[in-house]
Amino acid sequence: MIMIKMNRFAAIIILVILSGCSSSASVQLTNDFPQVLAKPKPLSAAIVFEPSFATYVAKPNAKTMIDIGAAQVRLLRNAFTGLFSKLEFVTSREEITSENAMVIIPSVREVQVSTPSDNYLNVFEVWIKYNLDLETVDGEAIDSWFMPAYGKTPDAFMASKGGAIEEASIIALRDAGAKLMLDFYRIPAVNNWVAEEQRRVQKSRAQQIQAQADSDPEAQSSTAKADSTEASK
Amino acid sequence: MKTSSKLIAILFSTILAGCAATTTIDEYRPTGEPIELNAGEKVVVLGRRDAGHYETDREFIGCVGKRMTGADIGVLPEQVFIDAIYPWFEPRTAPKGLPRLKRLMQDASIKAEVDKLDVRYLVWLDGSTETLDSGGSISCAIGPGGGGCFGFAQWDKLSVYEAIVWDLQDLTEKGRLRVDSEGTSYLIGAMAPIPFLTPVKSDACSSLGNQLKGFFTTQPASPE
Repeated sequence: MIMIKMNRFAAIIILVILSGCSSSASVQLTNDFPQVLAKPKPLSAAIVFEPSFATYVAKPNAKTMIDIGAAQVRLLRNAFTGLFSKLEFVTSREEITSENAMVIIPSVREVQVSTPSDNYLNVFEVWIKYNLDLETVDGEAIDSWFMPAYGKTPDAFMASKGGAIEEASIIALRDAGAKLMLDFYRIPAVNNWVAEEQRRVQKSRAQQIQAQADSDPEAQSSTAKADSTEASK
Repeated sequence: MKTSSKLIAILFSTILAGCAATTTIDEYRPTGEPIELNAGEKVVVLGRRDAGHYETDREFIGCVGKRMTGADIGVLPEQVFIDAIYPWFEPRTAPKGLPRLKRLMQDASIKAEVDKLDVRYLVWLDGSTETLDSGGSISCAIGPGGGGCFGFAQWDKLSVYEAIVWDLQDLTEKGRLRVDSEGTSYLIGAMAPIPFLTPVKSDACSSLGNQLKGFFTTQPASPE
């Protein structure tokens, strides 16, 4: 009886050890990301998180699975608040209610993972390749921006494969946020759209003032006064 | 009997003496004056993580931070600072030189956050610990009658770290430190494996932390 129990115990121990040596990894990212420190431009955008993006599970190879869908939505929600003052998050293009907003549809092109046995370095690496389709509300394409992000673990020593890939994925997502904040307004097409949008806002404001002035001459002088005060400020 | 005990003692002391790391520190400061740190002001120690093949590990940064905290220097944890300034101190965006830092600090929101955290000095740490050379061999076996390890193995480790101190108020560099620590570790297999490890990284950390402590003088808080 004792012998059987001992055998069972030994079998369980061996199974536990072998499962620790297993080379497959299934990771779900549940962490939060820090609030971005940036002043957004007075522009509006509608971000379309399609269900395929919000529930995206990457399978970079047969033995690795990374559930990044929810985490990447959290990251991008946060990052875009540092870029646009007025934001709308929707799950399909049809739900957009904002006028004159830039429509941004993110998607994942590919996720790649590299382990110490692949790169001969003592690190795990993760690449997430995003694509941002930028359009006007009317559906006119502004640009399609390729946005790669990269993350690596500092040291893979004694780390489990799952833990290391999770850490590298979080760093890659943070890098995606950094890349977005740093480079988004440097995209020439976006820059042109911003300039056009600012011209449109100025023009419509001038038209509003003109319309007000035509209907009420007294309001015209007060608006002019307010404008001159604002200008002097 | 006495002779054999003496022989063993000599053998062990010889091996242990071989386990000491050799550490060299180079220091550069524009002036000989210590860096003033007013009461309430803090230092943040950050690791460089933009190199492809290595990354300044968090454990080392934590170790240096702990060494400095012991000397009444307020040290803000690295991750707290990086999260508060996100995304401007990520590997992709962190300033590599003073001109970029100056541009970053021109942003009112970043400057306000740095002031809110009371961070006065930023210490950049860059470096890694690598195994240079290894030799010997050790083999272990286990069987129904028992097991054991036999053989001898040795390896050399080298830790090279550089610290650069930036003043976030004056936006100037206050000094540089470089530490090189090298040592050999041994593993002897005589039934049980007996390690004689040289604490190369730990030596580099304590030397660097102690030297950095010497950089700063803390000013007592005013009675008000």
